[in-house]
Amino acid sequence: MNAGVVRLGPLTPGLLRFGLLLGGLLCASSCCFAQAPAVPPAAASSAATVTPSAPASKPITDADLANVPVPSADAKAKGDRDGSLTGNAGDVTVSDAKKGLTVGDLVNQVGQNKIALNIVWTLITGYLVMFMQLGFALLETGLARAKNANHTMMMNLVVYGVGMFAYWLCGFAIQMGGVGAVANLGGTAPLSAEFVVNLFGKPFGLFGQHGFFLMHKGTYDVGVMVLFLFQMVFMDTGATIPTGAAMERWKFSSFVVTSFLFAAFTYPLFANWAWGGGWLANLGANFGMGKGYVDFAGSGVVHAVGGLSALAIAMILGPRIGKFTRDGRPQAILAHDMVIVITGCLILAFGWFGFNPGSTLGASGSGNLRIGSIAVNTMLASAAGLLAAMIYMWLVYGKPDVSMTGNGFLAGLVAITAPCAFVNPISAVVIGMIAGVLVCLSVAFVERNLQIDDPVGAISVHGACGIWGVISVGLFADGTSNYAGAWNGVNGSVTGLFYGDATQLVAQLLGVATLLGVVFVLSFLFGTLVDAIMGQRAPARSELEGLDLPEMGSLAYPEFELKSGN
Amino acid sequence: MKIVGILVAFLGFVISLASVALGSNGARLGVIVLGIVVSLFGILGILNAAHLKYAIWKTGAGTE
Repeated sequence: MNAGVVRLGPLTPGLLRFGLLLGGLLCASSCCFAQAPAVPPAAASSAATVTPSAPASKPITDADLANVPVPSADAKAKGDRDGSLTGNAGDVTVSDAKKGLTVGDLVNQVGQNKIALNIVWTLITGYLVMFMQLGFALLETGLARAKNANHTMMMNLVVYGVGMFAYWLCGFAIQMGGVGAVANLGGTAPLSAEFVVNLFGKPFGLFGQHGFFLMHKGTYDVGVMVLFLFQMVFMDTGATIPTGAAMERWKFSSFVVTSFLFAAFTYPLFANWAWGGGWLANLGANFGMGKGYVDFAGSGVVHAVGGLSALAIAMILGPRIGKFTRDGRPQAILAHDMVIVITGCLILAFGWFGFNPGSTLGASGSGNLRIGSIAVNTMLASAAGLLAAMIYMWLVYGKPDVSMTGNGFLAGLVAITAPCAFVNPISAVVIGMIAGVLVCLSVAFVERNLQIDDPVGAISVHGACGIWGVISVGLFADGTSNYAGAWNGVNGSVTGLFYGDATQLVAQLLGVATLLGVVFVLSFLFGTLVDAIMGQRAPARSELEGLDLPEMGSLAYPEFELKSGN
Repeated sequence: MKIVGILVAFLGFVISLASVALGSNGARLGVIVLGIVVSLFGILGILNAAHLKYAIWKTGAGTE
């Protein structure tokens, strides 16, 4: 029996209220999946108020629980065809067999059910996010030429292993080592050490210090493991983004080292500042900037970090041979399989239902029932981005370009990732629509004005639209969310400029400045270091031949190659 | 010039960070936007120009 149950032990009026509360909790949990609307909180609390004329309710005691009927062994031995015998009081774990079922056991079971629900939710949504790796692999490989298909697939496979290994070694500890207890997961208390410096008279958390190898300082913990899995697949999504911008010319060995550095340091640092209790998250508590930097599922942390790293690598590598003419005009290099490109886009959109709703880290308690709203905002923004990009391309270029429509689809998803938990459906559509047009403009700007070769549009989809998503929180957050009454330690709901709080926009813009001035710079320095030591770009001869044979030793489509003579 | 570009990009962040010392949110907003513009200039204006100076298509290897 834990301390919480002991406090409830004596038969006092407190126990009466507790009994009614427990009844309400059980009732509410049984209503979760029903179509009928649940009792509003105000009505529920008024119903629980005992009026002088009403008969006094009898508190639940251990003796009452002893009399709860349980199906006999004989009845269960005949089989439970309609499910009425399975799952009953006999399934509640009893702490002391001599005493039998007690109120304490019942309360413990309710608490464990809540945490179990949250853990299962977080794990399953994490598995969905992991599935996005396949989406990225198909999308990028389809946009590559056939002679580079093996190499591109291999990068998307290996980034998963390399990224996970680096993140397990130190990335997770740097990111989440000081986050403290995550209430939805019922634990993670060992993640309690943040390295802090004092700036402007306030503490600035810079990186976590617990959790190396998932063994350090008590982090071999059920809650920590769930958090690791979920955060790892997020990090790996970010690590995959540069492979699209750098494909068809990135030396494989250099890609491995660069990805390791991304997963070990670049990503975890910014993720700590935003999600791990670092200084950006505390801008609200320390400097009165809204609720601090708010990035619900990672438009900034995952997508802008990945997109800016992609920009750094694409600059260092330079364009593919043949991408620009001698006078700097861009040339189209055609994708080899648009079918798998669109398949990849749809897989990514499916995975996004893990990415955004899963970022509540739970389905029960603390306002987490808003997961439905988060999921709907996610799909609305993706549709708006898709339509906006398609219509834009149709109007400007005369055809509804397939790859840009796919990019608009993803741009809407990227942009809604930060604000999905704080905005209403109309705002989600507006955010997605703006992202859909933005990605078209950005792709053209990057290619024509900056003369940077980004074969998949990763810099625009993830970088530009990720930054737009971060800013949109500061504009569109409507102040109706209530995740346990506070965000980043500041009471109240996240509210943007259009709903009355201009300070939130200030915090968001400081996050953007950090992405540009620190994340990009760090990515560029790491990329340049690797370039100086081992060279980032594959030899021109290998590039012309296609990277599959020189780098991987095998072709993706040997028969196709023989027929086409490529 | 690459080093200059990186330093300017980082300088933009420093400018933005310094805004937390200001009392008014309007002033903070202005300073942060200034910092973002400086960072963008460092990345897209200086650093990218330095890379384009020796771009592969300018050196004659740009055509297959």
